[in-house]
Amino acid sequence: MNTRSIRFRLAAWYAGLLAGLLVLFGVFIYFTLEQFLEISLRETLSREAQTIGEALLRNVNDTGEDYVIKEMEEHFAPRITSRFLRVTRKDGSLLYESGLPENHAFDPRQIPTERLDGLRQWREEQVTDGSALLIYSLPFADRAGNPYLIQAGAPYEQVQSVLHELLFSLAIALPLIVGIAVGGGYLFMRKAVQPLNEIATTAERITSRNLNERVPVAPTGDEIEKLGISLNRMMARLEESFHHINRFSADASHEIRTPLAIIRGELENAHHSPEMTPEMRETVRSALEEAERLSRIVEQLLEISRLEAGETLVDRSRFDFTEMTRSTVEQMRLLAEEKRLQLIFEGADPLDIEGDRMRLKQIVVNLVDNAIKYTPEGGSISVSNFGMDGKAVLEVADSGIGVPPEAAAHIFDRFYRVDKARSRQLGGTGLGLAIVKSICIAYGGTIAIRYPDGPGVVFRVELPLDSSRI
Amino acid sequence: MRLLLVEDEEKLARLVKRALVAERFSVDVAHDGRTGFELAKSYDYDLIVLDLLLPELDGSEVLRRIRRFNPHVPVLILTARDSVAVKVAHFEAGADDYLTKPFALAELMVRVKSLMRRGTARRESILRVGNLELDRLTQQVRWRGKRIELTAKEHGLLEYLMANSGRVLSRSMILDHVWDQSFHGATNIVDVYVRHLRGKIGGDEQKLLRTVRGVGYVISDEESA
Repeated sequence: MNTRSIRFRLAAWYAGLLAGLLVLFGVFIYFTLEQFLEISLRETLSREAQTIGEALLRNVNDTGEDYVIKEMEEHFAPRITSRFLRVTRKDGSLLYESGLPENHAFDPRQIPTERLDGLRQWREEQVTDGSALLIYSLPFADRAGNPYLIQAGAPYEQVQSVLHELLFSLAIALPLIVGIAVGGGYLFMRKAVQPLNEIATTAERITSRNLNERVPVAPTGDEIEKLGISLNRMMARLEESFHHINRFSADASHEIRTPLAIIRGELENAHHSPEMTPEMRETVRSALEEAERLSRIVEQLLEISRLEAGETLVDRSRFDFTEMTRSTVEQMRLLAEEKRLQLIFEGADPLDIEGDRMRLKQIVVNLVDNAIKYTPEGGSISVSNFGMDGKAVLEVADSGIGVPPEAAAHIFDRFYRVDKARSRQLGGTGLGLAIVKSICIAYGGTIAIRYPDGPGVVFRVELPLDSSRI
Repeated sequence: MRLLLVEDEEKLARLVKRALVAERFSVDVAHDGRTGFELAKSYDYDLIVLDLLLPELDGSEVLRRIRRFNPHVPVLILTARDSVAVKVAHFEAGADDYLTKPFALAELMVRVKSLMRRGTARRESILRVGNLELDRLTQQVRWRGKRIELTAKEHGLLEYLMANSGRVLSRSMILDHVWDQSFHGATNIVDVYVRHLRGKIGGDEQKLLRTVRGVGYVISDEESA
């Protein structure tokens, strides 16, 4: 489970919030109920005491004490209801005292008698097992004016047990509610977050080659729809500016190529003209050379921009990369021999790849040509092909002047030259490696530079093997 | 031989016309598509050189209309747009060859001549320049009657030079014909092969295969090409 996902975090937040609120609610209920129960217990006790006074004691002289005792026993059933009832005469002697309740919550005999003077209306009496008895005392006079003390009490435990039950219910219900809410929320969030994942998957797939794709937008009217629409609008703008750039380079190519064609044609004509002095002919020759280089630069720049725009991938076929490399290296052997360089090819296994053979061959040509250019006479160049992890690998290693580490990051940039004077003198356009990189990327591959233990550098190209091999 | 050149860029049209006239063609020039099409309809040209981006009527449309009444006249397309898709589309629409700007005039001349030869004259099977002889059928090369062995690439290079003897061929033309586009990154491969070829056909003292500095190579038995 991804604990950083919005889904998880929202669910966790809600769980925390809900649990907190429910605990607060429980505490509130607990204290409210406790207060309510105590008040109603007090009301009950005072009402009972009143009833004893009004209904029984008032006429004690007519009915006799035995009647009062019998009535109290029958009417209030203190043994069953765990009531403490006591009626004291003026001299402190007992008229009535309830017996030991059935649940033995307290023993009435251990509760001290109260004096009529300095009397507290309410008091709590600690009883044996540590719980308390709430006692209400009511002074009362019968018709003859004889004062009595009526006491009615009940154990606090009655309130406590209700509260305990409430606590017990809350302890079960609270986690249950939180659990259900969070679980439900988490599942619901999956549904809510699903469109986001779809948007992410689509957005991941979109490159400069398929800018016309759009993320899926469900008309839900929510924030996700808004996000999808915004992303699609952004992509439409990107697509438009991309087209704009492509259109621009197509237009620019036309605008540059026609004047270049004229310059080259004029120079060619001038070069062949019989009236030319040798100096003038030399000047024209030099200008013609530069015009040709300019043509090459324009061509290669356009080629790179076309590769980047994914335009030239029409010509695809399946072929053996190893065989193609081997034959290309053979075709370039003479170039190496001219400089007395040893050119070695290693590669035995066929590596089927899919793509434009001509373009992929250009990778080999440019890398080997580069190696030949920058390796001094007597050195060696080794080209090897092998398969690795579903990739066709091409390595071109030389024992040449190498590439300074600070230049390695820029070596594939357009017009980057490690040694400006030297490479220009060698007739390069500064675009050879940039083209190689563009081709690699266009066919789903990579190119990297590596330093061997000895002198020189290794260029390593990885291209996806064609898996649809029959 | 009468040619029609449809090109809106006047300077380029003048230049190409001058080069074609120097090769003894008679050339009509149209600066827009409509005029070009009218001319193509009115005269029986031996070849049409057609630019694609034209005012009035687009080059592709001109080509389509020409093909409707004349399916045989060779058409060479000149253009600054060179994506593979565009190329394929125009070959399908009936273009015979395709040249991308900026081109070398020499390249244009080679293409024009080869289009003219097509269908009319048979390809000569034996090419001769001075004491050099190349048999296209048996793939044999003789220098002063003596057989010399060439590698496949050397043979291809020599055949291309001899088939266009007397004409200066640029390195990129040679690369395109004898190697392929992928070798454009390695321009000095041509120089190396020419040097080797020279060594085999009579050594450095002979002037058969000459370098035209800054332009390219030419094979001829004359002193100046």
